[in-house]
Amino acid sequence: MAHPENTMYALSIDRVTKRYDSIVAVSQLSLVVRQGSVFGLLGPNGAGKTTTLRMVMKILIPDEGSVQVLGQPLSERTQDVIGYLPEERGLYPRMRVRDVLIFLSALKGLSQAEASRRSGEWLERLGLSPWSNMNVLDLSKGMQQKVQFIAAVLHRPQLLILDEPFSGLDPVNSLTIKDVMLELKNQGTTIILSTHRMDQVEMMCDSICLINKGRDILDGDLAEIKKSYGKNTLRIEYSGNDGFLEQPGVIERINRFGQLVEAKLFPGADPQAILKAAVERGARIRRFELVEPPLNDIFIEKVSETDA
Amino acid sequence: MRKIWLVIKREYITRVRTKGFLIATVAFPVLFIGVLVFSALIATRQTNRSLKIAILDEPGYLGTLIARNLKDKLPGASSAIEVERIYDRPGAGQDLRRDLVEQVRRGALDGFLVIPKDIVEGKAVELHTNNAGDIRLTYSMGQAVTQAIIARRLAARGIEIGNLETLLREVDLRLVKVTKEGESEEKGQTLAIAIVVTMVLYMTLLIYGVATMRSILEEKTTRMVEILVSSVRPFQLMMGKIIGIAGVAMTQYLIWAISGSVLAAFATGLLTALQPGSSVPKVHLPLSLLAYVFVFLLVGYLLYASIFSAVGAMVSNEQDMQQAQAPVTVLIVVPVVLFGFIMRNPNSTLAIILSWIPFFAPILMPLRIALQMPPLWQIAVSIILLALCTLTVVYLSARIYRVGILMYGKRPSLVEIARWLRYT
Repeated sequence: MAHPENTMYALSIDRVTKRYDSIVAVSQLSLVVRQGSVFGLLGPNGAGKTTTLRMVMKILIPDEGSVQVLGQPLSERTQDVIGYLPEERGLYPRMRVRDVLIFLSALKGLSQAEASRRSGEWLERLGLSPWSNMNVLDLSKGMQQKVQFIAAVLHRPQLLILDEPFSGLDPVNSLTIKDVMLELKNQGTTIILSTHRMDQVEMMCDSICLINKGRDILDGDLAEIKKSYGKNTLRIEYSGNDGFLEQPGVIERINRFGQLVEAKLFPGADPQAILKAAVERGARIRRFELVEPPLNDIFIEKVSETDA
Repeated sequence: MRKIWLVIKREYITRVRTKGFLIATVAFPVLFIGVLVFSALIATRQTNRSLKIAILDEPGYLGTLIARNLKDKLPGASSAIEVERIYDRPGAGQDLRRDLVEQVRRGALDGFLVIPKDIVEGKAVELHTNNAGDIRLTYSMGQAVTQAIIARRLAARGIEIGNLETLLREVDLRLVKVTKEGESEEKGQTLAIAIVVTMVLYMTLLIYGVATMRSILEEKTTRMVEILVSSVRPFQLMMGKIIGIAGVAMTQYLIWAISGSVLAAFATGLLTALQPGSSVPKVHLPLSLLAYVFVFLLVGYLLYASIFSAVGAMVSNEQDMQQAQAPVTVLIVVPVVLFGFIMRNPNSTLAIILSWIPFFAPILMPLRIALQMPPLWQIAVSIILLALCTLTVVYLSARIYRVGILMYGKRPSLVEIARWLRYT
């Protein structure tokens, strides 16, 4: 019997396990994705992200546990309300762009006429109209990426799964895709974003699940997760000698970006000591800010904890 | 069902639209007919001209006899072979021979015949010609000389025969094929049909099976497949592809069958118009044979296309595919290798058993049916075994396919493939 509260989730995964021979790809994984949210599925390479997404797409069948989409057990119907942009993706090279889009959206249940109309609109919107009658193989890699993105959204999915949607896109195209994603979100589409780009997750995701070795190691509302770590990180922009950073007992770990450093403080350490040392040594400080740790640091910390 | 239909439609339309399909469908018969017409033209051109020969008659009594025996006529009622000159007892002089050789080189003569003195005792006759491949010339000359010699030998024993030709006329051997339906005159059409049936089955299984495999590998290497299986079940995708390609094959055969029968009717009409009274041997294709060929072709294609699909899904590149497909290709080639044996012994125990082995049945059973209708129960056993084997193979191939399409890297070992079969 379906739990009534499940209906508010776009996706709920309940104690799912998937094994390949002796390797456990996903182990007792549970997660829920609220409708209308942007959800980040994170993890190092080989953590089990793709296996999890493939199970949601019904490409793979879990050995244990269950998956529900919009409160429904997986079926051909749930497949049709999901849009999927896999990480490893490609299109028929010797098919015309428009024909590929019509074919793929027809597989999702769209009528020929509707598919044709919508693909025209989307190609126009992403600046691909002049290429709509060309073969896929005549398009640049970036253009093909955009066509693949269109293929994932053309049938107006309620749940959109995007695996590394920005890889291979230039900044202009990335911006376009990001805007489209936000627009879809505002229209009520639930988005699952799987990526290694933590900056994008921080900017776009409402909640996340971090997995490693097939297990959930951190999940929840992104803002709350960051809050729970507290403002334990110093973000300093400066010029001059960085010797002032070497204060015993203050900085636990430091991450340098050239003009900027992010330094994790020991619990209870006083950041004033750093500022004082900087002034004494004549370094010019342009920014000195106590912040929550960047997701990147949380990711690294959590993954290395579980790897150990 | 809607989804599998969409996959079939795409596979069919994208294939039929390609230049390759157009070339294969149109160019192949055009080329075939072109060769036929060309060789026919060449043949008719040749027969318009009489061949000119000279005879060097050493014994001195055979030349005129041979010339009289050359009775072949051209359509224009002139002799096919004209004897320009008979040299009566020319002696051993080499000058004459050299001169004749020169004439043959220039084209003034088509050849000359040298009859040695001891011809009646069995010494060989020599025919010097610039066209040693002209079977008509060599055959006619051989006949004429033989008849002249026989007449001479008979005369030496005191038997004079006026019309030797009547005496020597060969007996016509009329072959009559006995079948359940009755008897029909055989003019080589059984063998012709058997060859055509074998070749059609062999080519279809191989060409379209390999096409299925390539198509699957392409979807894998272009990484299209992961997008597809997010909408379609792998089994639907595989079957859609197999059926779509079968549709392409059927379209091609239909085009050939229609254009072929139209052309055959046209050619028959043309031939009767050009040569009144001549008849084209009627090739009678029994409907039952066609029906059996169709059934075995259909099930056999499903069997091999499934195996090829599994092969296409388990490899990740062209080289691995070439290696992995080799054993499958061998299975299809074996019946063709066995053609001669089956033709001579269509009802031997070995032939019966071979035509029951499901991997050979799609070619061998129709071949046996084409040669000599086997008992119905033997055909039934063959079909049942083939159908059971095909169902098993489709099931196993689908399981290999669904795992294989998502696996990249080195070619899996047999142990790994066996493990794939157990994956859920």
